[in-house]
Amino acid sequence: MAASNLSRFNTPAGRAFDVVNVALLVVVGVVALLPFVYVIAGSFATEAELATRSFFVWPETFSIDAYRAIFTSPAFTRALVTTILVTAVGTTIQLLLTAAMAYPLSKSNLPGRRVILSLVVFTMVFSGGMIPTFLVVKDLGLLDTYWALVLPMAINPFSLIIIKNFFQQLPAELEESAKIDGANELQTLWSVILPLSKPVLATFALFYAVGIWNDFMSPLLYLNDSSMWTLQMFLRQVTVATDLSIVEGDTTQLPPAQGIKFAVIVVATLPILLFYPFLQKHFAKGMLIGAVKG
Amino acid sequence: MTRHPSRAALALLSAGALTLTGCTAAAEAETVELKTLSIMAPYLVTNAPQPDNEIEQALEEVVDTDLDITWVPNSSYEDKTNITLAGDDLPHVMVIQGKTPGFVKNAKAGAFWDLTEYLDEYPNLSTSFPEVQKAASINDQVFGIFRARDVMRASVILRKDWLQNVGLEAPETTDDLYEIAKAFTERDPDGNGQADTYGIIIPKWPGMIGSNSPYDVIETWHGAGNRWTERDGELVPSFMTEEFLEAVQYEKQLIDEGLVNPDYATFDSAKWNEPFLNGNGGIIIDVHSRAGQIMGLLKQSDPENFDRYVEISGNLVGPDGDLHAHPTAGYSGFLAVPKAKVRTEEQLRAVLEVLDKLNSEEAGPILNNGIEGVTYELDGDLAVGNDDAPQTLKDDVLSYAQLGTNVTGFQGYRPKQASEYEQEMYDKRLEIEQADLEFAEFDPSAPYVSETYVSKGAQLDVIVSDARIQYLAGQIDLAGLEDAVERWRSAGGDQVISEINELRDAD
Amino acid sequence: MTLLEKTAVESTESIVVPEARRRGGIRTHVTQFKWLYLLLIPGALYFLVFRYWPMFGAVIAFKDYVPFLGIADSAWVGFQHFEDFFSSPDFPRLLANTLVLALLSLVIAFPLTIVVALLLNELRLMLLKRSVQTLIYIPHFLSWTVVASLTYLLFALDVGPMTQLINGLLGTDIDFLTDPAWFRPLIVLQDIWKNTGWGTIIFLAALASVDQEQYEAAIIDGAGRFQRVWHVTLPSIMPTIVVMLVLQMGQVLNTGFEQIYLMTNALNRQVADVFDTYVYFMGITQGSYSYSTAVGLFKAIVGVVLIFGANWVARRFNQTGIF
Repeated sequence: MAASNLSRFNTPAGRAFDVVNVALLVVVGVVALLPFVYVIAGSFATEAELATRSFFVWPETFSIDAYRAIFTSPAFTRALVTTILVTAVGTTIQLLLTAAMAYPLSKSNLPGRRVILSLVVFTMVFSGGMIPTFLVVKDLGLLDTYWALVLPMAINPFSLIIIKNFFQQLPAELEESAKIDGANELQTLWSVILPLSKPVLATFALFYAVGIWNDFMSPLLYLNDSSMWTLQMFLRQVTVATDLSIVEGDTTQLPPAQGIKFAVIVVATLPILLFYPFLQKHFAKGMLIGAVKG
Repeated sequence: MTRHPSRAALALLSAGALTLTGCTAAAEAETVELKTLSIMAPYLVTNAPQPDNEIEQALEEVVDTDLDITWVPNSSYEDKTNITLAGDDLPHVMVIQGKTPGFVKNAKAGAFWDLTEYLDEYPNLSTSFPEVQKAASINDQVFGIFRARDVMRASVILRKDWLQNVGLEAPETTDDLYEIAKAFTERDPDGNGQADTYGIIIPKWPGMIGSNSPYDVIETWHGAGNRWTERDGELVPSFMTEEFLEAVQYEKQLIDEGLVNPDYATFDSAKWNEPFLNGNGGIIIDVHSRAGQIMGLLKQSDPENFDRYVEISGNLVGPDGDLHAHPTAGYSGFLAVPKAKVRTEEQLRAVLEVLDKLNSEEAGPILNNGIEGVTYELDGDLAVGNDDAPQTLKDDVLSYAQLGTNVTGFQGYRPKQASEYEQEMYDKRLEIEQADLEFAEFDPSAPYVSETYVSKGAQLDVIVSDARIQYLAGQIDLAGLEDAVERWRSAGGDQVISEINELRDAD
Repeated sequence: MTLLEKTAVESTESIVVPEARRRGGIRTHVTQFKWLYLLLIPGALYFLVFRYWPMFGAVIAFKDYVPFLGIADSAWVGFQHFEDFFSSPDFPRLLANTLVLALLSLVIAFPLTIVVALLLNELRLMLLKRSVQTLIYIPHFLSWTVVASLTYLLFALDVGPMTQLINGLLGTDIDFLTDPAWFRPLIVLQDIWKNTGWGTIIFLAALASVDQEQYEAAIIDGAGRFQRVWHVTLPSIMPTIVVMLVLQMGQVLNTGFEQIYLMTNALNRQVADVFDTYVYFMGITQGSYSYSTAVGLFKAIVGVVLIFGANWVARRFNQTGIF
């Protein structure tokens, strides 16, 4: 594969384009990264430096006070562990449910398919709203359980449709041969379709994981027990300025120090960011599909 | 083709509705004896208190009842309140943060007990500040035990070293304030030879008109009243007065002459102290406790000289030569008892019994100061904070203070200041507050809740508060500001005025 | 869609709403597709329970909903909220502001995502490709609160690094944060910065499955690099582009709340107010859930029309569409 790939790039114009393209994308990458570097640098800076310098990528005096403050809170550490577990388990469940529903819908001869798809698409533009959804979750007895963070968002219609479209594009011959071997659709999905769909599944694993990870409303509304809370409950409370307390003149409490805000952002963002490279290797494997087809 | 899906959707809907009625049937059995008191309360710090912490245990001992507290982040309290009211698992007591339209609607629909007739029977709930209780009521119906706050808090905080450098005294009048702001901007108060300073620091204000912003305070000083004022026997919003127009012109002069930070429309209020500490600006118009906050920060960065930077002053005399002091509402929300949980009068009395103990002399110090020997030590009748206490416990003290009502006066120990200078400043503050209180201009409309205001108020108020900033920024002229007030009136404001006056006359 | 296809579709659709005389037909279908239907059950249940069941709550658009009274016991008001909304002086302004932002996002941010994905796809150094990919996803993980505070920092009057940079280039100070003329460019810029990288994921996944054989064939035909992108790559990911476009049409009135809310101030509110901030304002600040549900319902109806319309157009042009 490598040799043929190279041959199609090696023209003078192609090389010139490569240079420009590399330069351009590196700039794009840096622009994307810089503000985050500032957040990281700020999390290691002293409050005095944060107050006087407006933007920097390296702190003058190095300080880990902010991190010490965060990690001495047992509640924060517990929330971090909880969030990682809920995200891992939740993403798996959501992905399986979505793939299971996407597969039958990818069969254009399935009766009722268009009605179901229309109903699915309708939910993308209209939802019952916060209070009715809460009432449903409550009536199902899911309050104060981690299911409440996973099930109400189990299938994202957008993800469902993209995965369904992906299944549709898979070569039909593969399934035919599975059928000839006597496999039913369930077995075909599990042993033929899903392994072939790794790039798209990896993509949506990331989407789902980020969805659960960043979800703030569900734990707020569905979990009364603060020992069950996830990271976003902390992040939110730290980063959102307490407007009301200023209007009320309630200044007994200082707003959280800027450095702590930054440190919380770093701690809450890094794990999910580190999750990505594990998925990326599956993205690359997507290349193989063409080969299989040949 | 959309016809078919919608028909199918209807079928699904009715199926869903059937299941719903099936599920909600289970109602919980209620016992009259109160073993556990459940409370919903906001917390403002980073960490919510953990169940069964030391403070909660100490409180449970005093009130002789188990406490089950649901802590909700302050930033999303309103959402959680509405969700909780919509469900059927309510706490016995809910902290309500103010007379928001949402609360008023629920209260008028009968969601909460009217406590007007009950509170006086309980020694610790019978308030010594009936006028504040009235202000916290909805048209004289008391739906909650108010959480008392200092009434007189407005303060001008200035850079003391700058004042000395330009040879001026702390201000007493609004003219003095202008003088000082001008000197702080033009006469190089930090002596570095550069024109890199300005006078007053004003942040982007999160509230609307009449929400204790520096603008509102300046307008009160000019005699425009406090949110509402009485003119010719009729209550009118303060922005309909001559004095208001005078005050905004004063504000505009400050801004036009560059005596205020140029980004006053966008500057983050969480960073309000920074320009003061960094020596960019030298005046903050806010509440007294901010001065203490600033001194604390200075003490960290410059422990040797921290007593050289801060000067405070109280309310300022307006151009009419009179002192119109700007008070707060005197309360910050209240503790309400939802009827959906507390169904009978017996149950209500059981709840009030516990709340009475929660506001007792024994419970007060726990709510306000924490645990003696752990979070504070007693020195005479002053509390000395214990710096070695774990941070989570210090945070917990601040959270439990949210449950305190102090309706019979402050129940905790005042904090002892760490140094002589701080004590001096604190005493000066109390003195100023005491002196200003006499001249407080209270909001005469506070107890009255107008129907129209509940349904449209937020929309209406934003018209005027935006126009004020637009005028200050030069986007519109004074006539434009007056037009905005006219728009406020025609869009429903006139109705609000007549409703408020009717309620007042009927009172 | 030909007439024949149309009747085929309608006959399959009516199966979901069963009629007695068709029962025999259903049974055949069910046996033939039993495994597929079995797979559908969990998903169908999900949509039924968590997506359609809460929709009963939409009736509060026609009521004066008070949370304490509950949905059933709140008073009916008919179309009152809709009348108020459409006759409100805010309505034309909200509509215009929302549409302008949606249009900007559609013509700038959407194509840009595809362009970046294509450029990334042309990178041959796998290490560089992966690194850049990872980097451009980062902004997606920062909340709007963080993005907004960074924007305030960078574009602050006088002291912001961007303001200073532009002052150096143009010699004049621009007050980006309060000047109404700069509100939309800033919003679009934030949107691009935060979401473009993340948006490329879908297209990169589609690009990963482009048939390599077609490239080989194109090279043999002597196609240049640009021609290969134009004639092979783009057509292969066209179905994905169309689906994304159709789905985005449904979101035209959803500009998002938090980003706009955080960037709004007294001086730019005239151009900043959109439906989503209005819904928040009416629902939370003003406590009128009914009114904001009515606005939400209006948005949903527009969304349904646009999404189904776009799908219809896509199918007319022989693209797959969503369904």
